[in-house]
Amino acid sequence: MSLQHLWQMSYDSHTIDILRNSKYAIPVIQSFHLFGITLLLGSMVILNLRLSGIGLRQLPMTALSRQIWPWAIGGLLLAIASGILVFVPDPARYAANYAFRTKMVALCVAVAFQFLIYRKVVRSGTAESRSSRNIAVACCSLVLWFLVGWAGRAIAFLG
Amino acid sequence: MSVLSWCHWLQNTPWATGIRQSDLWFPFIEGSHILALSLSVGLIVMFDLRLLRLVLPTESASKIMRQVMPWALPGFGIMFVTGGLLFFSQAEKAYSSGFFRVKMLLLVLLGANALVYQLKFYPSMAEWESSEAVPRGVQVIAVVSLAFWMVVIACGRLMAYEL
Repeated sequence: MSLQHLWQMSYDSHTIDILRNSKYAIPVIQSFHLFGITLLLGSMVILNLRLSGIGLRQLPMTALSRQIWPWAIGGLLLAIASGILVFVPDPARYAANYAFRTKMVALCVAVAFQFLIYRKVVRSGTAESRSSRNIAVACCSLVLWFLVGWAGRAIAFLG
Repeated sequence: MSVLSWCHWLQNTPWATGIRQSDLWFPFIEGSHILALSLSVGLIVMFDLRLLRLVLPTESASKIMRQVMPWALPGFGIMFVTGGLLFFSQAEKAYSSGFFRVKMLLLVLLGANALVYQLKFYPSMAEWESSEAVPRGVQVIAVVSLAFWMVVIACGRLMAYEL
């Protein structure tokens, strides 16, 4: 089955009609998408300010990452779940949108970076001190997550 | 002059029209307004969660406040400037929107909520911040803040959907 078929099935589904036809369903789901984004990006701002050594220097990195990480993941999961609900009523429109495609690629890269590189750096025990590597990792993480956000916002403006 | 006719005049000023019709500025301002949520509300949410001892319970709350506020305040600065410009560009429709009115009312209440914290609980933080018995008033303020900010975000999204 091709993706095209999947989008058509999703578009034709009667369950999803409820989302499409209700006046407020989509913006309410998008509000939950924004709650998730606020939690996720807020967490990322905190973790990366600390990792780069630019801010929050009086808070220990290990405690911060251990405590903030679950909220970041919670925000990410909320954003993904609500994002899927916004996507399914009109999949072909999103799939054809270049901002949406950029967003999905950036999201995959950001998640991979966060789990593979970021976590490794934080667990290595060298995240407390200020170093050019820590600054570079923090910048990459922030740029990637904000790229996901900007691409998401651009979906609406690219039609 | 009624508020509505003032809004009508405001959104028809050359600057407001310029923002509204710009393919570059309008998305940039709106995108900044949304993504600055991370710096403003995102950091306040973390502080509220700390007050409820749901995050970093072993770190001093006043230290977290001192460390986080220098970043949250510019975040709110961006929110007010970009939000002001967005209002400026669509004043008449925004003013007529019920969601916008609820959002403004809640922002005022959130300001009052923060003020009560500053005046009543902030001076005595050293006495209660490391204890598990957080004053009931502090818990109420943190829950009100979390709940109202969620409604403010939802109202912002809903009003933009209608405009």
